[in-house]
Amino acid sequence: MLKVENLSTSYKTIDGDVQVLQNLNFEIYENEIFGIAGESGCGKTTLLKVLYDIIDFPLQIEQGRVVLSGEKNGKPFSYESGRIRDAWWKHISYVPQAAQSVLNPITRLKSQFLDSIPEEDRKNETEEETLKRVADYLEELSLSKDLLDAFPFQLSGGMRQRVIIALATFMSPNVVLADEPTTALDVVVQRGILMMLMRLQRELKNTLVVVSHDMGVHYQVTTRMGIMYSGSFAELGRTDEIFEDPIHPYTQMLIGALPRVGDSRARVGIPGRPPALTDPPPGCRFAPRCPHAVKRCTEEIPEFREVRPGRFAACHFAGEGERDDTEAVGS
Amino acid sequence: MSKGVKQLKFSKYLGLRILTWALTIWIGVTFIFFVPRMFPSDPVENMIGRIQSRSGQMDPVEMEALRKTLRVQFGLEGSLMEQYLSFLKKGLLQFDFGPSLMSFPTPVGDIIKTYLPYTLGLMLVTTVMAWLIGNFIGLQAGFRKHRLSSKILEAVAICIYPVPYFIVALILQIVFAFILNWFPLQSTIVTMGGFGMFIRSLIRASILPAISLLLLGTGWWIISMKSLSGTVAEEDFVLYARYRGLPETRIGRSYVLRNSIITQVTALAMSLGGVFSGSIMTEIIFGYPGVGTLIQKAILQSDYNMILGCITISIVAISTATLIVDLIYPLIDPRIRYS
Repeated sequence: MLKVENLSTSYKTIDGDVQVLQNLNFEIYENEIFGIAGESGCGKTTLLKVLYDIIDFPLQIEQGRVVLSGEKNGKPFSYESGRIRDAWWKHISYVPQAAQSVLNPITRLKSQFLDSIPEEDRKNETEEETLKRVADYLEELSLSKDLLDAFPFQLSGGMRQRVIIALATFMSPNVVLADEPTTALDVVVQRGILMMLMRLQRELKNTLVVVSHDMGVHYQVTTRMGIMYSGSFAELGRTDEIFEDPIHPYTQMLIGALPRVGDSRARVGIPGRPPALTDPPPGCRFAPRCPHAVKRCTEEIPEFREVRPGRFAACHFAGEGERDDTEAVGS
Repeated sequence: MSKGVKQLKFSKYLGLRILTWALTIWIGVTFIFFVPRMFPSDPVENMIGRIQSRSGQMDPVEMEALRKTLRVQFGLEGSLMEQYLSFLKKGLLQFDFGPSLMSFPTPVGDIIKTYLPYTLGLMLVTTVMAWLIGNFIGLQAGFRKHRLSSKILEAVAICIYPVPYFIVALILQIVFAFILNWFPLQSTIVTMGGFGMFIRSLIRASILPAISLLLLGTGWWIISMKSLSGTVAEEDFVLYARYRGLPETRIGRSYVLRNSIITQVTALAMSLGGVFSGSIMTEIIFGYPGVGTLIQKAILQSDYNMILGCITISIVAISTATLIVDLIYPLIDPRIRYS
C-alpha cells in the first residue's frame, strides 16, 4: 500500500541542511491501522508530510521515495513521490493536526464538501444529489445532516474534528493519514473520535495511519506501529508485541514510563533530552541517553534490521538474547 | 434561538445603530456650524467693504441699515443660538442652507446641485474602479506571489503609492496639459450647445483628474489587498484546501478572496463616504468644477452657508455609508450576528 524506500529528507536552513529523516525503509499494509509514535520534534509530522507528498520549501527529499500503490474498484494504481498529489482525496487523504482552523470560516460546510469532491466524481448528478449522498454519509457516521448548513464557527471542537474526518473519508480513499487527530480534545471526545476512525477503517478495510505522541492512543487503536527517535525508527512491529516485549532501550524506557492500573510504583522518565537535529551525535542517536550504551554505540550507527519476523529495531544489541538488565528497565 | 427573539434583537440593534447615526451627524454639523463663526472675517463686513470699494463712501445711517438688511438676508440675524436652531430645522431636515453669501442671492442648495453631479460622477467612478482593479491585482500579488507579473505590478504599486498626490497630479497636468497640450489646463464643461458637446467636454475635463485618482487609489488597494490576501493565503484552511486537491482558481476565489474582501468592503465604504474631502485637491489642481472647488472658494470668502451646506452633505454621506456597511456586513461575513 505505502512503501517507503531509502527515504532521507532535510530542511534547508541558513545554517545548512538539517537532516530530519534518515534512511527510512518500511512498509504500511492494506487493511491495517499503523501508528507513528515519538517525542515532539522527532520527525513524525515530517514523515507524514512526505507520505502525503507535501514537499514544500524548506523541506526536500534527499534520496529515496514513497510509493503508494493498490487497487480501487478493481483498478490498480501506483503513484510515487512527486506524483502522489494526483491521488489526493481519491486514494489518499489527510486529517490535519490543527483541525480547529482548517475549514474556511465563512462558507457553509456543504460548499466545503462540494469543493472536496472532484468534478469527475459528480458530473452525472445535480448538486442536490451530491449533497444527498453527503447527507446520507453523515448519517451513516451518526452525524446530523443539518451540519451541512452550518458554518464551522458554530461547531464544537470535537464536532469539527468529526466533520473533517467525514470530509477526508467521503471518497473512500485507500489510505487515510491522521496527524494527532485527538490532540487538544478532552478524553471523552477523544474516545469518540478514535472509535469513529476505527469503525471507518473496519468498514472501508483501508489503511489508516495515525500519528500521535500519546502511547495510549497507539495501544488502543493501532495494529502495528513504529516508534521514532530523532528522525528515524527505533523500533517497528505489531503494537501488542511492542507493548509486551519492547526490544529497543528507548521503547523499553518509554513503555516503562507509562502508568498502569494497580501499580503504585513511581514512574521514571527518560533522563536527558533528544539530540538537536542540527548537530546529531555520531553513532546511535539514543546512545547519550541509553543506560546500556557501550563504546560501539557512540561510534557506529546501528542498522535498522528485522530482529524477529515482523519486528524491526535499530540497536546493536537487539536480539542478542536477553540481557540481565533488560528486565529491570523494561518493567 | 427562535426567530421571534432574533427579530427582536435585530430591531433593537437597528434602533441603536440609527440613533448613533443621527448623533454622529448632529455632532458633526454642530462643529461645522460654530467653527466658521469663529473666523476673524465677517461676511456682512466683507460685502459692505466690497460695495464701498465700488460706490465710494456711504452715509453711516445708510450703512447701518444696509448692515441690518444684509444680516437678515444672509440668515445671520438673532443670537447665535437662534441661528443654530433655525439651521438645525431648515438645514438638516430640508437641506435648505439659505442663500450663498459669495453669489448672493442664489440659494446654496441650487449651487451645490449644479456642482455635485460632477464631483460624484468623477469620484464614485474612480473610487470604485480603483477598488476593483486594485483588489484584483492585489489578490494576484498576494495569492500567487511567486509569479513574475505579480512581482512587477506590486513593485509599480509600491513606487507610485508613497508619492504625494499633488505631485502626481501636477506631473500629469504639466506633461499632458502644458507640454503635450492634449487636455485643457483649466477644465470647462460646456453645458450649452447640445448633449454631444457636453459629453465631449466632460470627458476631456475628467480624464486627467480620473487618471491621477486611479493611479494613487489603485496603488493603495493593491498594497492593502496584497498584504491581506498574503496573510489569508498562509492560513490553515487555505493549505488544507490545497491538500484536498482543490483547483487553484477555486482556492483563490472562495477561500482567499472571500476571506480578505471583508476588510476591503469596509474600506471601500469609508472611502466612498470621503469622496468630498478627497475631491478638493483634485478639483483645485485640475480646475475641475465640483464641490471641492466650491468648498475652497467658500472658505476663502467665509461663505458660512456654503461651507455648512457642502460639509453637512459630506457628513451625512460618510455616516450613511458607515451605517450601510454595518447593516450589510453579515451578508459578507456570517460570523457577525446582531446582538
